[in-house]
Amino acid sequence: MLSLWLRQLPTDRIERLRDSFLSLPLRERVAAPLVVYGKRGNAELLTAVDDAAERLGLSPGLALAQARAMHPGIEAIAEDAEADSQLLEAIADWCLRYTPLVACDAPDGLLLDISGCAHLYGGEDALVADLAGRLEAAGFAYRTAIAGSIGAAYAAAHHGAPGRYACGQERALLSPLPLTALRLEPGTAAALARVGLKHIGNIIDLPRAPLTARFGADLLRQLDRALGNEHEPLTPRLPVAPYVAEQRFAEPIAREEDVLAIVARLAGRLQLALERRGDGARRIELTLFRTDGALRRLAAGCSRPLRDPAQIRALFSERLHALADVLDPGFGFDMARLSVVVAEPCPPEQIGIGGTEDDAELDRLVDRLSARLGARRVRRPVAQDSHIPEIAGSCVPAQLTGTDDGWVAFHRYRAQADLAPRPLRLLMRPEPIEAMAEVPDGPPLRFRWRRALHEVIAAEGPERIEGAWWSEHGGDSLGNLARDYFRVEDKSGLRFWLFRAGLYRDLAQGAAAPTWFLHGTFG
Amino acid sequence: MIAQLRQSLRALQKPAGIDADAGPLPLGIAAIDLALGGGLARGALHEIAAAGEAHITAAAGFALGLAPAGARLVWIAEDMARAESGAPYGPGLEAFGLLPERLLTVAGARRCDLLWAMEEALRCRAIAAVIGEVRHGEIDPVAVRRLSLAAAQSGALALLLRAAPPRDASTAATRWIVGAAPSSPSPGSGGSTAERSEGGRGGVIYEKSSPPPGALTRADLPLSGGGERESCFAVQLTRNRRGPLGAWMLQWSDSDERFVPATHAQPVAAPAADRPHRKVA
Repeated sequence: MLSLWLRQLPTDRIERLRDSFLSLPLRERVAAPLVVYGKRGNAELLTAVDDAAERLGLSPGLALAQARAMHPGIEAIAEDAEADSQLLEAIADWCLRYTPLVACDAPDGLLLDISGCAHLYGGEDALVADLAGRLEAAGFAYRTAIAGSIGAAYAAAHHGAPGRYACGQERALLSPLPLTALRLEPGTAAALARVGLKHIGNIIDLPRAPLTARFGADLLRQLDRALGNEHEPLTPRLPVAPYVAEQRFAEPIAREEDVLAIVARLAGRLQLALERRGDGARRIELTLFRTDGALRRLAAGCSRPLRDPAQIRALFSERLHALADVLDPGFGFDMARLSVVVAEPCPPEQIGIGGTEDDAELDRLVDRLSARLGARRVRRPVAQDSHIPEIAGSCVPAQLTGTDDGWVAFHRYRAQADLAPRPLRLLMRPEPIEAMAEVPDGPPLRFRWRRALHEVIAAEGPERIEGAWWSEHGGDSLGNLARDYFRVEDKSGLRFWLFRAGLYRDLAQGAAAPTWFLHGTFG
Repeated sequence: MIAQLRQSLRALQKPAGIDADAGPLPLGIAAIDLALGGGLARGALHEIAAAGEAHITAAAGFALGLAPAGARLVWIAEDMARAESGAPYGPGLEAFGLLPERLLTVAGARRCDLLWAMEEALRCRAIAAVIGEVRHGEIDPVAVRRLSLAAAQSGALALLLRAAPPRDASTAATRWIVGAAPSSPSPGSGGSTAERSEGGRGGVIYEKSSPPPGALTRADLPLSGGGERESCFAVQLTRNRRGPLGAWMLQWSDSDERFVPATHAQPVAAPAADRPHRKVA
């Protein structure tokens, strides 16, 4: 377990920002000890100080007024917790190059589970050296520690000597450290200090029952976790993909063809792993690590489990086309990772007999279109068990539809029930119209829709569809009203599907007056 | 021998979704089929424009009527077209002899996305017909040419649906201008409609100024209208590579699932308001 503490994250962020738009001589001139302050309770306290301010004797926790009195020359900037946490998340993403298991340890730390990953860099020391080199180049102050448990790594990074501690050394490591290193509630640590227990060593050998009785169960649980007696799970920031293949490059790559070639090669590696377990990929993510630390993520979905590298390459080719200029390679990418985010069992199937080939062709088309235009733009109608028209025939993204889209049941139902005709096109939402009816419950004589007046010459209806009164969320306010649908034709032959929401007989019970809507058009 | 083998091989490799040798798609109306040289050519691009903004659904219905029954269909529309005229509604497709489960709808944010998606869909062997719906503005003739070529290669039917009669020259095989026309009660439908209404149709058909029913229970209400109204189209063929142009009144026949000549060749006056309604026995 590697704990990374970015101890001056807020000031580093501000200084990095300045570096990006101030030239060097100008920066020298404005350079003043920098502190960041925030409101804690009713006081404005320092939350972070940079190296220069640290040398002046300032430290986080000091009141801002006091710091200003001591050193009038310091520069104080209000904290921006949002920006800090965004930066921390960006760094966490960047750390994915070391291990897929990265967790944020707010507000300014990261936890990396590097078990089984360190050998890729040539050992833990080499990994830490690599990490250190990159963080220094990016201008971050940091401390790292590797230990057997999360608690011990945290304690060593924040309070002890940075380094690498093997399993079993936790006791020796923790004993001299202050109790705050155990990540206790502030109140618990203060209460312990009051009775003279200041270091972890003070409590390791104390009888457990009185400690629990007095300070709560949390204290001993944190101690056990730090010592490695109790397992503490790491909650990674991003779900861990079941299949991952990655490639580091000696020279950064930038061209699109190179990226696609790498995708095909990585997909080839994944294919073996997928075949061994009989799986296929439903959603694939390509992560490109830029040399300057930025990350590019591209995801592509497939309608059916996929293994073929050529097809995976084709999907990403479409994705890249859709981006075109957004895939800004900067000085190039130095690492690429292809992960199968969602995998599904992929039964072996024979190709070329019956209709399956046709379906496969169609699925490939759906995948191509979805990759380029976005999965939400490629849809397929599904029949749903509802009387409300907009729910009964809604469209869902084609990649998500299963084998049963409900139409078989719908055709059967339709054959039995002899349903009234349905419009060819349904408006996104019913549009209010001004309508005039001869009798309250009859069809309209004329109506105005989108500023055009339509004279009704024939009408068919009504077809009453009761609202979903039993459902809290039967849609918007319209969802719970009964609707009387009419199919009307105007003078020029245009055919519309109108409805009146609400019933006149409900007026007596204090309901609002019924209103007319236009819902669709017939061909 | 080799040639024979090649021929059989070609027959085996024939796209599965489309019957390439099926020839043109006849509309079933002699006059139109004659003008088109046997029917609507497959593997070609046809432009169908609405007579006006409001007639777009009629034009869409005409386009769907042209597509072979039960065909696997891709309907690609610009976002604006979906917002203005609504999205294709699955249960309503059946009226035109198409199966909603074989429809794929695609929304394109830009014109170039739409044209690209159309070309991709045309190149897919599983697709029998592609409808691309654009709203206003001209279409790059190069893109139209590309679509025509893609359609010719795969043998699929490409239909370009436009919201208004275009002014630009066309490289498409045919160009139609379609508008909705006032319908007439379907001929001789007295008996059949009565049968159908007994089959459980909840609604009532009535014409303007027919006596308004008070309580809408089916038991005591006679069918007051002249019968089922079927969709009518005023169709104009304004460009035809293979033959003459023309204008027709068509009617979509629900029972036969094909176009038939309208019972009235020209728009007629609305039925007299005071005409006594026939009671259906």
